[in-house]
Amino acid sequence: MRFAPFIAGAFTAASAVLAKTVQYDWTLSWVNANPDELYDRSVVGVNGAWPLPAIQGKVGDRVIVNITNNLGQPTSIHFHGLYQNGTNEMDGPVMVTQCPVPDGSNFIYNFTLDQVGSYWYHSHWKAQYVNGLRGPLLIYDDDEPFKDEYDEDIYLTMSDWYHDEANWLVKNEFLTLKNPTGAEPIPDAGLLNDTQNLQWVVKPDTTYKIRIINIGGFVSQYIWFEGHDFEIVEVDGIYVENQKASMLYVTVAQRYTILLKTKSSTSENFPFMVSFDLNMLDNLPDTLNYNTTGWITYDTEGDFPDAAIIDEFDFYDDFYLVPVDKEETWEADTTVTATVVMDNLGDGANYAFFNNITYVAPKVPTLLSVLSAPENDSVNAYIYGSNTNAHVFEYGEVVEIVINNGDTGTHPFHLHGHAFQVIERSNASDSDDDFIVYDASNPGIRNEYPMRRDTLYLRPNGYFVIRFKADNPGVWFFHCHIEWHLEQGLAMVLVEAPLQIRERITIPDDHWEACKVGGYSYEGNAAANTQNYFDLTGEKVQPNALPAGFTARGIVALVFSCVSAFLGMGFLTWYGLSELKTTQHEVAQIMGEIPLDDESGESK
Amino acid sequence: MAQVFEVSVFFIVFRETLEAAIIISVLLAFLKQGIGKSMDDPAIYKRLVKHVWIGSAIGFFICLAIGGAFIGTWYSLGRDIWGSSEDIWEGAFSIVATVIISVMGLAMLRLNKLKEKWRVKIAEAMEQRNHAGKGMFGRFSRKYAMALLPFITVLREGVEAIVFVGGVSLTAPAKAFPLPVVCGLLAGCTVGYLMYKGGDFVKIQYFLIIATCFLYLVGAGLFSKAVWYFQDNNWVKFVGSDVSEEGSGAGSYDVRQSVWHVNCCNGETDGGWMIFNALFGWVNSATYGSVIGYNCYWIVVMITVSLMLFKEKKGYFPFLKSWTEKQEAKKIAKRRAKMERLQAEQQAEMSFEPKTVESADSV
Repeated sequence: MRFAPFIAGAFTAASAVLAKTVQYDWTLSWVNANPDELYDRSVVGVNGAWPLPAIQGKVGDRVIVNITNNLGQPTSIHFHGLYQNGTNEMDGPVMVTQCPVPDGSNFIYNFTLDQVGSYWYHSHWKAQYVNGLRGPLLIYDDDEPFKDEYDEDIYLTMSDWYHDEANWLVKNEFLTLKNPTGAEPIPDAGLLNDTQNLQWVVKPDTTYKIRIINIGGFVSQYIWFEGHDFEIVEVDGIYVENQKASMLYVTVAQRYTILLKTKSSTSENFPFMVSFDLNMLDNLPDTLNYNTTGWITYDTEGDFPDAAIIDEFDFYDDFYLVPVDKEETWEADTTVTATVVMDNLGDGANYAFFNNITYVAPKVPTLLSVLSAPENDSVNAYIYGSNTNAHVFEYGEVVEIVINNGDTGTHPFHLHGHAFQVIERSNASDSDDDFIVYDASNPGIRNEYPMRRDTLYLRPNGYFVIRFKADNPGVWFFHCHIEWHLEQGLAMVLVEAPLQIRERITIPDDHWEACKVGGYSYEGNAAANTQNYFDLTGEKVQPNALPAGFTARGIVALVFSCVSAFLGMGFLTWYGLSELKTTQHEVAQIMGEIPLDDESGESK
Repeated sequence: MAQVFEVSVFFIVFRETLEAAIIISVLLAFLKQGIGKSMDDPAIYKRLVKHVWIGSAIGFFICLAIGGAFIGTWYSLGRDIWGSSEDIWEGAFSIVATVIISVMGLAMLRLNKLKEKWRVKIAEAMEQRNHAGKGMFGRFSRKYAMALLPFITVLREGVEAIVFVGGVSLTAPAKAFPLPVVCGLLAGCTVGYLMYKGGDFVKIQYFLIIATCFLYLVGAGLFSKAVWYFQDNNWVKFVGSDVSEEGSGAGSYDVRQSVWHVNCCNGETDGGWMIFNALFGWVNSATYGSVIGYNCYWIVVMITVSLMLFKEKKGYFPFLKSWTEKQEAKKIAKRRAKMERLQAEQQAEMSFEPKTVESADSV
């Protein structure tokens, strides 16, 4: 059992009222780490260290993250949950708002913290963040509704952990014809604060504000604290009315902030657990320890008991949380409906689709297409590609997104640039063959004041309905936050208010440099065509579908085989009939009716 | 249907039964025509006919016993040892089956000629027994020659059938045996009876040709499937355990090797398509290997038939003219020598024994 100090966010309440600028100068390079004490592997370190530092600031502060990429591969960083209003170019997803940051280059993210709560940052180039490029982003707010209810402000991260390099897994084990069912790679361990056997030293009779962040790449986890209940006060940056709970279900990328009051007695230490949602794993290897335990440590010299086995996961359904600001339900102006489908394409690999399109990155980052296109063309979704699931919205309209799950998996969907209202979320269906599809004329359960957050999970074979107001001009990615599914193409691009984007968004020089140095086109439509934006020839598209039935090749083969068979039988018939004549000839010889032939063999 | 009727078993049993039936029918025909002076004495004729049947029956039952024991032991040894290398076993057995069928098939076309050959052989044997085997065994075999010959024949054909059936159907479930065996026996006996009746051997030859064509269709299908099994084994090993879940859909086959694939009509699992699979080797997901294998098989058959036809016409295989001539010359010389010897012995007899004693031995 290791003793690992619980890292507390060090920030005093009494700080300057004026907004500050916080600058982080980070050099990204590979370092070694072995957080589960099972396997030493290369991870992405910042300034030679892993785990990565937390980005912290107060509401209104400016944050500058100046990265130098020494990873030998491209990179980018996305600040998950930040609205980036007016700074869409700082959002981070590669080929959506920027070109990848080339190896050896510098890149600056510069934005302000105009919102409250708990967030995180992570790489948004391929599956790189699963290699360790992720960390917490904490915003402090002097005007929290519950600011007098707690004594200390700390964070707790949870994640899954792999021993293999993530992009190698995608290329060789996951997105290949040797994995036709699309079985996601199974993690090798779970982590709490990027370590295990965490001892969280607490004072008695103290209320802690714990920002719980799931920084993993795949598995949702349950979390509970033995002997202690807590109150949920914030989800994904939205303050909610205090809600008592004893267990949470946290998908990757979600945040829950809770208030937990410690006991008066210091005689016992209490375990707290995070446990994988095993329904998400295709198989369960014996070697996987899917429960990760920590201890609420009252007495550092005392016993650290094992966590108790529980019968069922009785977690609080976040659908019922009530935002403190009690925002009224938006009425939708436009609806995007999509069905999640997982299927195989002609290369034999398993892909993820919205309807029948799997996201394939365009040749030009979509934001740069918006800026370079003629004004009239920029409002037409067509120019952003036929394989990007692109949608265009007008400034101010209320967008409704309906996702129907055509798959038996749980998918946590994340919308960049917004926290959306959760209008409805169905249960999972009873059987794998039944689907619960959203029917607007027959609505399900709705809350008077809808819950809001930026990452919401979709139940197996069920649906959800979300709404947001298009008041943040920018190109926003909407995708499943399971990294493997993102690599399979479960994403769509929302081009929100292109005319306003053109007015308000400017691209800094180092962003243009990144495109040039990396050899990417930075002007034109999805096919990098700058002359005719409606000509998508040469754009990147998904692999062809598997041929359903006989192709030309098959018909030729079948016909040829039939011909061979008939020819062969013809030869046999010829042989059989010729036997008659020779037989009669030989019989006659034997019977002495005709003289023996010296040369012909009579015994066969 | 393939689960209760193994097609290749039927053909093998049919062929072996047919051969035995031919010999028995020849013997009976001889008896009818007067060997052993049966025309003189109906009682002797009846006795000799009984000998033929008794000899055959004893041989047959011994075969059944051996066959039952062999198959029973084989199956009780258990076939679960195959497990994950099932495809390799299936492939190997299919190859064995196709070889057996292919070799046997050509012989089937010569069955008609066999009848005549057997007439000659039996005639010679009769003649020889007259002059050889003076000891107790000799007397016994002379006395019961009519029983011994069918007994040995039936036993031999029967054991051949068992061995071939065992080789061909190692992958079939035990309940797929009884029906084709019975059908094969019935069919073989029927055709043998027709031949005994002095049937027009032209009509019988047509029948045999059709039967042989079917046999080779099965053989071609087996070969194609053997290749398919080997390729499928590679695929299963490559992907791991997920393949079985995919049924007939995407992921159950290797797209790189695929010539055609339909998500239905699986020859291993879907009703009527299983018959197509058994008869023609139909698979719903063909690979380059299985298609090319099928065509190569037929090409080899065609070449073999052409070679045999060449030999028939010219008397030798292409390029082997002088070697063949030497072999044939040797055979003919031996034959001549034998005939001369027989004639000399006859001459000697006639000069020493003015009258023949036993009736059953002379030609």
